[in-house]
Amino acid sequence: MISCKDVSTLLMSERLHSQKWSKRWEVRLHMAMCRHCSRFARQLRQLSAAAKGIRVDHPDSDFEERLLDRLKK
Amino acid sequence: MRNKSHFLQNWQLFLESVYDRCVLSDKPFRLRELADPTSPPPIEPAFLERLRRRDSAALAEVVQEHARALFAGATALGFSRDQAEDLVQDVFVVFLQRMDSFEGRSQLRTWLFGILYRKAKEKRRITAVDDQTDLIESVLESRFDARGRWSHPPADLERLFLSKEIGTLISGCLEHLPFSQRQVFHLREIEGYNTTDICKILDLSVTHIGVLLYRARARLRECLESKGLVK
Repeated sequence: MISCKDVSTLLMSERLHSQKWSKRWEVRLHMAMCRHCSRFARQLRQLSAAAKGIRVDHPDSDFEERLLDRLKK
Repeated sequence: MRNKSHFLQNWQLFLESVYDRCVLSDKPFRLRELADPTSPPPIEPAFLERLRRRDSAALAEVVQEHARALFAGATALGFSRDQAEDLVQDVFVVFLQRMDSFEGRSQLRTWLFGILYRKAKEKRRITAVDDQTDLIESVLESRFDARGRWSHPPADLERLFLSKEIGTLISGCLEHLPFSQRQVFHLREIEGYNTTDICKILDLSVTHIGVLLYRARARLRECLESKGLVK
């Protein structure tokens, strides 16, 4: 039987999809029974979704223009 | 025989997606969502040819399309705006110098990010890819008992994730991540690259990328949990 520690490792390292189908079902079964692991998985998904919304730095509007000028020199 | 196993495999995937859709629905999560996204298509040969001829319109197109993402990638690693601008310029200088050796099998942005990270490492004088061991692993280890069951289960962070400051909190936590983990996290979550492409960009094995993603996520989650509990 797969342990909570194994499940969390598989989820965080994104190695789940490369596992055998039997292992993937084992994870699903575990997830259906273990509330801590499903909470953990949900938090990872929320982290991914929230990370997509974080503010990234934008350069000034003439950045590309200046860059091309410098590259031409 | 081969066809049969192929058929079975597709059938398996179909059942898994039906299960995820119907049984798991939205509540816990869908395993399929964790599958790798597909790679974007490689560069078109005609466009590559124009670049090799040093066509200035083609170069301008490349700069317009990718320079901002490279700038964001550099600042995400902790470089100042001025340093990031210089880095992006360096990337395009190398790009023009090595254009002839680019075979066009991968996407242009993948290649440009590869150059960016090599240059960033040179600037920071980082020689090793990362440490062999990471403290975060023992922190995580301590959350489980000897049989691998949660002894310190994850705290409820529902309200924290729904709060408006979650973006700022993640940015703050990202600053404490080691260089290579920040790179991998940015490529995966912000740029949306799949693990195969991240391997190409950073010239690392799939296993190594898995370890870095694992450490980055573990660290961020622990950091958010500590902030959530303080709140």
